[in-house]
Amino acid sequence: MIVVAAVPLLVGALLFCAVRPCARRLPPALAVRLLTVLALSVALCSGLVLSVLAVLVGAQLGPMPQIGNWSAEAIRRESDLPVLAGLAALLIVAGFLTSAAIQAGRSLRDLTRARRLAQTLHPVGDTLVLIEDEVPTAYAVAGAGGRVVVSTSMLRALSAPERRVLIAHERAHLRHGHHIYLHLARLAAAANPLLRPTADAVAASVERWADEEAAAEVGDRQLAAHTLAKAALVRTERCGSHEALAIAESYVVERVQALLAPPTHRRRSLASLVLLGFGASWAAAATVALWGNNVVQIAEAVYHHR
Amino acid sequence: MAGRQAQRRGPRGRGELELEVLSCLAAADRSMTPAEVQQTIGDLAYTTVMTTLSRLHAKGALERQTAGRAYAYSLVGGERMARSNMAAHQMLKVLDEESDRAGVLARFVAELDPADEKLLAKLIGQATPSTASPRRTTRRPRTGS
Repeated sequence: MIVVAAVPLLVGALLFCAVRPCARRLPPALAVRLLTVLALSVALCSGLVLSVLAVLVGAQLGPMPQIGNWSAEAIRRESDLPVLAGLAALLIVAGFLTSAAIQAGRSLRDLTRARRLAQTLHPVGDTLVLIEDEVPTAYAVAGAGGRVVVSTSMLRALSAPERRVLIAHERAHLRHGHHIYLHLARLAAAANPLLRPTADAVAASVERWADEEAAAEVGDRQLAAHTLAKAALVRTERCGSHEALAIAESYVVERVQALLAPPTHRRRSLASLVLLGFGASWAAAATVALWGNNVVQIAEAVYHHR
Repeated sequence: MAGRQAQRRGPRGRGELELEVLSCLAAADRSMTPAEVQQTIGDLAYTTVMTTLSRLHAKGALERQTAGRAYAYSLVGGERMARSNMAAHQMLKVLDEESDRAGVLARFVAELDPADEKLLAKLIGQATPSTASPRRTTRRPRTGS
């Protein structure tokens, strides 16, 4: 059973190693959806599996057998778990849950704050918000129906077709609710550190998704690539320093390269591999949960027949 | 990128048209006639530009004066509005930095490190930008600023 219990963690470990190249080979919209669902599944399933192990060991300790009316001896025999493994599982689950709860709280707080701030931005027309930042800036904020914030310096640096790429990119973020995927992936990563690269891959794929939508809208991937590069170069030039880099990585070089390369086609094999990981995680979690339930039932029967 | 012939795909939605026209006026920073807007954007029918401009005017986003036989449109309180948005913008920026890029803002691009800067310039076949003085990268036709 230990082997089955290890499956979600194993899927997590595989993701840890291989998620970035995997995400790059999938069409970005598919990658975002698949990886977000897989990350949440792995986080939930590994948490579930570890909880079962922790409960089985915890049920043998101290006054628990008297309180629950089950036989500690039967649980030990049936589950065949080392006490140390159970204690480790308990600690890990507690850690995961705490960090997930903190992240969930933080996400909610940040989203609420962003929404409130978005309401104080005055748009010209329905969504466009102009600012006078010397550093060319553009971003989308969800909330208040969605706002596209652009500095006039950015608009001046771009030609009309390039501005169209920029607008289409930001609108794609808003239209598809990209921030939701980012927060869910972040939540999964908080619940299981093995999923951190997956959260990063989701963040990168979200940008790629918006890039591809923009390229499709103007019907020219080269133009989209040039716009991105130009915006990044102008921004870097005006910033002067490179210190801000650590704060907001947005994978510009990777994105430009992807737009200059031929579009990624759906890869059946890769997508099914992701689905396999999803299925395996849930199957393992269900098996372990049923087994744990079974063990406790036997222990209860043993207790009552004494 | 001048003279690029892009094969456009499909008509734009109303929301996108409005954004495009508004950003065109914001970039120009002066009032423009429909003909000028059409010329700058390039691939829109004159009537489409006209309709979009008058719709934006009806919404109160644009003001217009007569310029010869046509109207010239400009943003309503563009600069004042841009300044008044700065406080919220600054707070959003701080919030984004604090929240460890957890998706409060979807930024278009970030700064590049010097290696990426060179690589990117090479990728799009542009000379490496001089890091000295800010260079005018504007390539719009005929907008004497």
